Amino acid sequence: MSNSAITVHNLYRFFGPLQAVNGVSFEIPHGSVCGFVGANGAGKTTTMRILASLDYPTMGHAEICGINVTHHPAEVRRLIGWMPDHFGNYDNMTVLEYLDFYARALGYKGAERRQRIDEVMDFTDLVPLADRFSNKLSKGMTQRLCLGRSLLHDPQVLIMDEPAAGLDPKARVELKHLIRVLAKEGKTIFISSHILSELGEMCDSLLFINNGRIVHHGDSESLKKSTDILGGVLYDVQLDGDPQALSDWAVLQPNIEFLESRKNGGRIRIDTEDPNKAADVLARMVKDNLRVVDFHREQRNLEDAFIDILANLEKNQPAFATPPPLPSQASLLPQEPPYDP
Amino acid sequence: MHLFDFPDRLSPMLVKELRQGMRTKAFVGVFLALQIILGVILLSAGAAASSDDAGSTISNIIFIFFSIAVLIIQPMRGITSLSSEVKGNTIDMMVLTRLSAWRIVTGKWASIVSQSALLLVTIIPYLILRYFFGGMNLIGEIVFLAVLFLSSAALTAVTVGLSASSSVILRSVLPMIALPIGAYSLLMALMFGAFGGGSMSTFFSLATDESRIFTSVYLAACTYYGFFMLSTGTSLIAPYAENHSTLRRLISLAVAITAAVLGSMSFTDADALPFFMTVVLLPVFAISLSEFAPLAAPTYRKFAKHGAPGQLAGLFLFPGWASGFFFCLVLTAIAAVPFLVNRPSYGGNDSFIYGLACLAGLLFPAVIINLFRVNGPQRVSNYVLLLLASIVLSTVLSGITSSLSNEDLLWLFCWLPPVLMFLEEAGGNSDEVLVASFVMCAIYIGTLLLRAVHSYRKSIIEIRAHSDTE
Repeated sequence: MSNSAITVHNLYRFFGPLQAVNGVSFEIPHGSVCGFVGANGAGKTTTMRILASLDYPTMGHAEICGINVTHHPAEVRRLIGWMPDHFGNYDNMTVLEYLDFYARALGYKGAERRQRIDEVMDFTDLVPLADRFSNKLSKGMTQRLCLGRSLLHDPQVLIMDEPAAGLDPKARVELKHLIRVLAKEGKTIFISSHILSELGEMCDSLLFINNGRIVHHGDSESLKKSTDILGGVLYDVQLDGDPQALSDWAVLQPNIEFLESRKNGGRIRIDTEDPNKAADVLARMVKDNLRVVDFHREQRNLEDAFIDILANLEKNQPAFATPPPLPSQASLLPQEPPYDP
Repeated sequence: MHLFDFPDRLSPMLVKELRQGMRTKAFVGVFLALQIILGVILLSAGAAASSDDAGSTISNIIFIFFSIAVLIIQPMRGITSLSSEVKGNTIDMMVLTRLSAWRIVTGKWASIVSQSALLLVTIIPYLILRYFFGGMNLIGEIVFLAVLFLSSAALTAVTVGLSASSSVILRSVLPMIALPIGAYSLLMALMFGAFGGGSMSTFFSLATDESRIFTSVYLAACTYYGFFMLSTGTSLIAPYAENHSTLRRLISLAVAITAAVLGSMSFTDADALPFFMTVVLLPVFAISLSEFAPLAAPTYRKFAKHGAPGQLAGLFLFPGWASGFFFCLVLTAIAAVPFLVNRPSYGGNDSFIYGLACLAGLLFPAVIINLFRVNGPQRVSNYVLLLLASIVLSTVLSGITSSLSNEDLLWLFCWLPPVLMFLEEAGGNSDEVLVASFVMCAIYIGTLLLRAVHSYRKSIIEIRAHSDTE
């Protein structure tokens, strides 16, 4: 068995002139949770679909547990559970019948099938919903049902494309809890999401993709540090009064950068880690008649790191990873749109 | 064994579709309406019991309502069967199970056909009661019921297969127009007597050679077209690496050879042969010439491992329109055989003009979609729509020409293949029309050949480049 649960090497996927995936390479070890982050259209879903054997790479190869996804799709499908970013449910079919159908389709029969369905319904807390029609479920319940479906054959690797999209906070917490439990059971989880703070909490590593290329791969702490090119310390400042006053004040100050507005103030960056300097800044605020009611240090978060990476790329300064060069054969590739019946 | 484990013996797709389908308003409505209508008919028939033809009248009414149910309503339920899965993004989830694309499509089809079978079973008591009214042609009515049922299965295969298309016109509009028209034609034949003035049940009594041959050919045609459409639907939803084109083409090849043998032996009517061969070849030409499937490495490897013979076979059997065109050239050569065999018995140029016009007519839409690259993803629907448009336009031109009594207008449009047939019918110079037909065929074949060679080479180079990177 391969050391990595997921191996992607020099993967390309072109749709005519669009280079959706452009020389992506990475490895994800067994039993780890990896977050896949990128803007819309960055190539996340295409990469995940190739890994799930649902799409075909233009070049390069991908493996799940050492098995090539294009050469042996049937074997790969037994190893993976797939949660797409959006999907419909069936009319006139209950939750139990829905899971029963997929269990049959996966080859389970008789008592073994009923046992698998019971286990999955129990794990995803779907038992009270067993007789509800699947198309009448809320988004959160539907996601749990989809997770249950993807777990029916007890896959080693779970590929989840934006599973938290559109969920209310309660449903997100439930989903996060389920993912944590699965991670503890030793499953490899490859998950994409726009909610970076949640990924940071759940994931052992994070992959950032932009324009089809991997721009960072590492754990969240190293990501925060390595992308902090400007340095300094972030502070949350809350005022009693007009919050606009903070940005107006910050613009005039040397060594202070106003980052974002918040309800009663904003977030600033002071270009040094010296706590005395922070005290000086606070003193100046008070002196300049800003009615500060809260002034506290904040950790750099993943959103900051992600934005810094994108900003760097815009400046054509790929500081973190150099994508592999395009092979010469690329000139031979088709310029047709994808096959879409 | 658990009581509920019986469905383990059935396809999971069939179980799912039956669970859903039996709850739909469409099925429940048709089921109840059919029972109510047939019950009322039988009760009211008591009043007409003394009439000599009361029995056959009841039979006809039963068949009419049954035909509406199984030839129109049931097949129409297939229109959304795969498109709803594609739209709901549930096809991917099913493909990741052990269900192949073929099992998904056939499961959808089998479910609707099973429900049609249920409707068939429910009318049997009425037919048994109708027996007591007398005048029943038992064999004829049973065979006719079987023919109706098989027609329903074939039409359902057409709608289920087309339902995978992204074109709304192809998957919905065309079936919604074609199904009622087709069923209406069949019902008119039933009501007013067809096939030599007798009723349908008389014709299907298998008493004559004509009846036996027609029934056999009709059932074979339903089976072939049904398989073909299900296979096409399978190709449209299958993952890239799955190849369904090769089997479909091999079966089409066998059918074409059989048709050519039958045509060589039995067609003495010069005008009928081209249309017979066109009807046989139309589906395979339409799909092969417009197929947009990319050549995937696993498919290529399966052929390449057999060396030069495998590569040669791949030239005709790889997925994609380029190899589809080479395959169509082979089919054309096979279809030409009965023309050459029967040539001595055909007096004029008619059969050759019709044959060449039909060939050009099948190639013309492919030339347009390849030259103008019309909507790559919707090539199949564009092919079908262009084919229909060329027929309609030619018919309109023919009507205008006949009202003007001047065929020059037709010559202006002789690049539209059906116009060549109208030119021949209008009494134009037969030799000139034959030459024009040859020229148009040569132009279309030449154009497609150039494009196909380029496309085929590109796909082979691409697949080898992909293999090199692995």
